[in-house]
Amino acid sequence: MNVLEIKNVTKKFADFIAVDNMSLAVAEGEIFGFLGANGAGKSTTINMIAGLLRCNDGIISILGKNSAKHSRFAKMNLGMVPQDLAIYEDMTAYENVKFFAGLYGLRGAELHDLVVEALEFVGLQDKHKSYPNSFSGGMKRRLNIACAIAHRPKLIIMDEPTVGIDPQSRNYILNSVKKLNEMGCTIIYTSHYMEEVEEICSRIAIIDHGKIIAEGTKEQLKSLITNTKDLWIEVKSSENLNIQAIKEIPGVEAVSIEEYFIKINSDTGVNNLNKIIEHLINNGIEIRGLQEKAPNLETVFLTLTGRNLRDQ
Amino acid sequence: MRDILWIVQNTLRVTFRKKKNILLYLFMPLIGIFIALMAYGGDQKMILHVGVVNQDKAEITADTIQFLAGLENVKITELEAGQVQEEIVSGKLDSVITFEKGYSDSVLAGRPDHIQLTSIKGAQVTGFVKSYLYQYIDNISTISRAADGNQQTFQQMYQDYQQSSFQLSTHSLADTSRNKNMTTQTIGFLIMIMLISASNLSEIILLEKEKRTYFRLLSTPINARKYLLANVLVNMLVMTVQVAVTLTIMKSVFHIGLNMSYWEAAVVMLLFSMIAVGLSLVLISFSKSRSAANALQNLIITPTVMLSGCFWPVEVMPTTLQKIANFLPQRWTLDTLTKLQEGHAFSELSLNLLILFAFAAAFFLIAVYKFSRNKTTENFV
Ligand SMILES: Nc1ncnc2c1ncn2[C@@H]1O[C@H](COP(=O)(O)OP(=O)(O)OP(=O)(O)O)[C@@H](O)[C@H]1O
Ligand SMILES: [Mg+2]
Repeated sequence: MNVLEIKNVTKKFADFIAVDNMSLAVAEGEIFGFLGANGAGKSTTINMIAGLLRCNDGIISILGKNSAKHSRFAKMNLGMVPQDLAIYEDMTAYENVKFFAGLYGLRGAELHDLVVEALEFVGLQDKHKSYPNSFSGGMKRRLNIACAIAHRPKLIIMDEPTVGIDPQSRNYILNSVKKLNEMGCTIIYTSHYMEEVEEICSRIAIIDHGKIIAEGTKEQLKSLITNTKDLWIEVKSSENLNIQAIKEIPGVEAVSIEEYFIKINSDTGVNNLNKIIEHLINNGIEIRGLQEKAPNLETVFLTLTGRNLRDQ
Repeated sequence: MRDILWIVQNTLRVTFRKKKNILLYLFMPLIGIFIALMAYGGDQKMILHVGVVNQDKAEITADTIQFLAGLENVKITELEAGQVQEEIVSGKLDSVITFEKGYSDSVLAGRPDHIQLTSIKGAQVTGFVKSYLYQYIDNISTISRAADGNQQTFQQMYQDYQQSSFQLSTHSLADTSRNKNMTTQTIGFLIMIMLISASNLSEIILLEKEKRTYFRLLSTPINARKYLLANVLVNMLVMTVQVAVTLTIMKSVFHIGLNMSYWEAAVVMLLFSMIAVGLSLVLISFSKSRSAANALQNLIITPTVMLSGCFWPVEVMPTTLQKIANFLPQRWTLDTLTKLQEGHAFSELSLNLLILFAFAAAFFLIAVYKFSRNKTTENFV
């Protein structure tokens, strides 16, 4: 059975269409990734799934039941990790988790055990008596997650749970997502970070301007662009670079710049290396190195949307 | 219901964990008692300063004034009609009684008239003078009617009465009026603290919206309606405790007589607590942020509390302001309590109680309407 089914869902804010006729199904046991640039409509979609926003059109079903009609059932089976931290500063870590889990009707010893378990799960058992204002960003994020999983929901929605945290906490979180999944949870995971999505998600939807423009396993997504290759050119300085001019060179599909690398995605059928190098030299750009890469999701994203995943 | 109580319990625990809140919610209401004790307390008896204007030079009038002067704790100053305004402004008088020409005759005729009583420092204070005075006048009228025009009989009865009435001089007068004053002062202060408490507690809603925990809560089985109800319950619980603690300590620790039953006072104050929650929700529903709410609360609470006579009697204010005060729920609350003190039964005050209910209902309706509108524009289910 599908844990989540979205059918022709549209969400408008006044005239602005944030989610545009979106359809999608997530099966039990999946880690499903939402990939999209800022403002693509990821959080809006997630808020509709969680019952925080009403959709203008379409149907969302959770565990086979229409979530608008059976909102209590839907919410009981759902754990939400919101993009903005939602924890109480004046309650200890333990109390935070206990409070949220209690809202699902849990009480007494059962509640206590589940809270302790959730705190252990995110590695905060030693800090259960501390207040969040003494926590690092990563620890707060982990507490945010613990609050959403203590009641053992079937479906866990995580909206950018790793944004702005140290690598250690990030690895911890990614590992716990995998563990939760192994324990039988279905997970929807939103991120800006391609590597994360590539590492943990079994299926990915690329969202742009409120629409799903591609969906599938990462291999399926990569195969969408096998007729292109990536060229990374290391330069001394990219200051004088005219991206538009490079894009006009025949065969070039997409261009982006990351520090000292010019990343060019180009059609495998066209031999344009000479032209690219010539262009750089003519513009006085010093080339320090050159390498060809197999396509990754970042390239897929760039090719499909023409946008970088993160604002630079 | 279980989940609502879960939120209530949690909110109370977190709130009362902070010393500052224990102080604000539980000890502040008692400050009113101390203010009242300082203002009216101590061993010295309160003296009522009554100005008397005698425009009716007759024996009965002179005797009436004598009677007033004979009341313990009442100090009489005879005034000319022209002085009244000046004396009132100087603030030395609590009350002015004018015996107009014809007073004595009207009493003798059995239909007392031509007497004017102006309270300056509040009806509660002068109410006693008034009730004793009117009783006295009534008695003389009755004697006069009984004598039925027979001058000698009247003189005889009148003399007897005069003698006995002076003996019956009223020692309890000042005590009850002092108690009533202290009660009014304490409850006036309690009203202000209740309003402040309610707006602080309702502000938690805005805080949770700002901190985003509100939206997180809505993704659990809690919905907006239940959340609001939980907040109202927290408010009501805190205010019930405030009322109970204040009335009990007043009565049992400081032995300030309420001059009405504890339960009547409690019921009126609980009715007011509903008004306070309703009002605080209205203010919250019109505020986008906590700072906006704070500004609005300052703008509304303090002036209305002052206008409605929580700190000083409304009678000292200009009549225009007194009229404005009639539109304030705090005024009606105090008025209901004063009437209970004056001995009216609860059943006679149905209009007052109805008006208090109407205030509460109106505030709740406005708040609910505004909240539901906010919800559709923000689109949160
Ligand atoms: N309440 C709202 N009113 C009006 N517009 C909104 C509202 N919420 C979101 N939007 C708009 O809808 C679009 C999608 O927003 P959304 O938050 O879903 O993006 P996102 O993919 O989660 O982006 P990010 O990666 O920055 O979190 C944005 O352009 C945003 O400005
Ligand atoms: Mg988002």
